[in-house]
Amino acid sequence: MTPAISVAGLTRRYRDHTALDDVSFTIPGKTITGLLGRNGAGKTTLLRILAGQEFPSSGSARILGAPPAENEDVLRRMVFVREDQSYPDIRVGQALRAASWFYPNWDAALASSLLDDFGVRADKAVKKLSRGQRSALGITIGLAARADVTLFDEPYAGLDAVARQIFYDRLLADFAEFPRTVLLSTHLIDEAAALFEGVIVIDRGRIVLDAAADVLRGVATRVSGPSLAVDALAEGRPVWEQRRLGSQASVVIVGPLSQHDREQARSSGLDLTPLSLQQIVVQAATGVLAPALEAEAETGFETGFERTSA
Amino acid sequence: MNTWVRVARYNLVGPANYLVLPCILPFSFAIGAVTAGRSPGHDAAAYLSSFFVFFAVQGWQTITRSLPFGLTLGASRRSFYSGTALLGMTLALVSGLVLAALQAIERATDGWGLSLIFLRVPYLLNGPWYATWLTSAVCLFALFAYGMWYGIVHRRWGMLGTVAFTAAQALVVVAVSVVVTSEHWHLWSTAGGSFTDLTALGLTGVIAALAVVLLAGGHITIRRVTV
Repeated sequence: MTPAISVAGLTRRYRDHTALDDVSFTIPGKTITGLLGRNGAGKTTLLRILAGQEFPSSGSARILGAPPAENEDVLRRMVFVREDQSYPDIRVGQALRAASWFYPNWDAALASSLLDDFGVRADKAVKKLSRGQRSALGITIGLAARADVTLFDEPYAGLDAVARQIFYDRLLADFAEFPRTVLLSTHLIDEAAALFEGVIVIDRGRIVLDAAADVLRGVATRVSGPSLAVDALAEGRPVWEQRRLGSQASVVIVGPLSQHDREQARSSGLDLTPLSLQQIVVQAATGVLAPALEAEAETGFETGFERTSA
Repeated sequence: MNTWVRVARYNLVGPANYLVLPCILPFSFAIGAVTAGRSPGHDAAAYLSSFFVFFAVQGWQTITRSLPFGLTLGASRRSFYSGTALLGMTLALVSGLVLAALQAIERATDGWGLSLIFLRVPYLLNGPWYATWLTSAVCLFALFAYGMWYGIVHRRWGMLGTVAFTAAQALVVVAVSVVVTSEHWHLWSTAGGSFTDLTALGLTGVIAALAVVLLAGGHITIRRVTV
């Protein structure tokens, strides 16, 4: 089956730096994938290339099996909502009306209902919207377009927590009814973590993590307590991080813990805290995933856990 | 609906810019009537140029303001350019027809009762209505295409590129002048030492050819524009 998004050896060089460096991944259809990474990691460049708005220096990007650049068969089945979207001198309602002409699956009722939820008036000039309201307009277009491939680049910049929750809820509800491929770039990782079926972490233009979200959620545990007990539990296991303070220690152990391990931890007075997706992404972005990879064969958690570059 | 037509409609979705067009003529007319119109000769035709210049501005604005959201809506660069050019051509044809009609009224009323020359531009727009329609439409469209090309150059290469583009045009004009007037090539003497034999319709043909060149230049330049 043709993946919804497939990228191979994608590189984008600018005069003085490389924004994307030999990036390769595939995203299956009808999934929500998180595109995560630090500022300047290359997420926006990647999304712009996927949307056909930027050109790669080398490599290829394919959407629904075809290159997106200047390909209207692909472009009309894709919507790209970007944080810094600029609009002509028009009103909110006019922007939505224009969008309805371009997207064959456009849902005007959904657009209207989203505007109500976000509290954005259709007769307001786009240039007079606040940052959050502009984000709400972008989200409205992105969801109401019901495009086969939906790319969100930091879509909720400036939105308050309530509005962000509305976005998550409406995205999930609409996705359940009309499944499509969504690639969402965000910094609010833990907040959006429940949405993701897959996670791609990019750092300095390279993919440092490409994995199923379910696999990642159980991939590492922080163990803290008396040093001797911590060392005993961690012995022979891949470890991401170690901290010591007097007789106390804290380590991040990679791989699932067995029932026996948990009982041993409880009897030794150790605290076990699963690492959140955000913490795992931080580990990935700071380049400390290597020990885990070396130990893949031992831990057995590697199903769906794929490291595409060092 | 064809993508070109969608793009043309998208450009018109915020009609404020285009509603300025019908306002320019009465405004320029009023200024011309109270200034040049009161001087000997009553020739205020130069004030009509503001209407033409606005077409170039409009072409520039379609690229600088409308292109990014247009591409976000799923139009390709090629379709956006073609659809916008289609809009420019339609506006030029309609505006040319309006100018021809107003020119007929100006003739019939002896310059709006003021002996004013506003729409009867000597040599260029002073023939039968169909010649006025054709010549003005071609000029307006050429300016629209010229504005679009400028906008594309600005979006692609920024201010530095725009300045270089302007300088390159100046160089081309100078080079053509030198070649045409050079005794070595005998072009000027072949033309009889002047181009006064060129009729208004002949000049319209030259401008139409120029419009095609401008359109092709914009089309080539927009292919690698990023937003």
